[in-house]
Amino acid sequence: MSLLQKQMGKFPIGIWIAIAAILLLTIIAWLGQLYSLLDWEGAINLGLQNDRFDGDLAEQTWALESWGVAMADMIWPFPLAIIALIGIFKHKFYGMIAAFMELAIGVYFPLFFAFQRWELHLETVILALLLWTLPSLLGIIGLWKNRRFFEI
Amino acid sequence: MYQLTLIGWILIGFGMITCIPLLMAQLTILIDPKGQRAKDILIGKGEEWRNETHFKFSYGAAIADWLIFFPIFILAIIGMIVLKPWGYLLLSIAGTIQIYINTILWFTEKKYVYPNLGPWKYYTYFWGNFMYWGVGALIYGILKIAGMITF
Repeated sequence: MSLLQKQMGKFPIGIWIAIAAILLLTIIAWLGQLYSLLDWEGAINLGLQNDRFDGDLAEQTWALESWGVAMADMIWPFPLAIIALIGIFKHKFYGMIAAFMELAIGVYFPLFFAFQRWELHLETVILALLLWTLPSLLGIIGLWKNRRFFEI
Repeated sequence: MYQLTLIGWILIGFGMITCIPLLMAQLTILIDPKGQRAKDILIGKGEEWRNETHFKFSYGAAIADWLIFFPIFILAIIGMIVLKPWGYLLLSIAGTIQIYINTILWFTEKKYVYPNLGPWKYYTYFWGNFMYWGVGALIYGILKIAGMITF
């Protein structure tokens, strides 16, 4: 039995890591995006967004792109995170599958962001990789190690 | 239970027809980011990037796709061929990524490309096929892992 399969309270450690990664995505990324859509200026002041719609032309273009990403995040990964968390806590198979998908997006999107903007916002890029890509990758491994934990 | 059936082969074939040309086009931007060949393939012959944001968006997508999507896609096909459940899991993950990136493209790029392409091109090889394949791969992968279908 590996460390990731060691029971710690209600779940094995690997599943706790997956839950933590999904919570990091949900609280900082998806809820941040939701707030951005509701109050873009407020999101910039909080550091959730970098670009203003009333900035120079380049900044406006990045702001439009960021807005599109925020909309996409509300339609797909945000609901997926809710389904994953509910399913995991109920030990259901659908929770594991939704979690795998959520965490795959958690690995993919910070890299997508990083290679676009590392010259512009290096700190944000490093933060995104540490907060989302790394935990999501560990979460995927943790889930796979404990896949028999879930009922079909 | 994880037998590779006709439906599985169709999804593999459709996925390859849809994704491989894009991945090859993305390779040109990775090899020579500012080259004319990358522009010719990705945005049209003789066309220019709209601005630096447009270029960086495409460049970021190309790296992320080659680092994440492409390996998952190839491993999914291998897994399906060797009859392993992880093949179907990776298939559904590849589908998820396609749905995600194409939802972003719907909001960020449609207003620029749709007027030039028209509905037939846009809703088939340019954008639609990626979404149809993503949804198909996602649903088929899940149903197969859950043992809810045998075909």
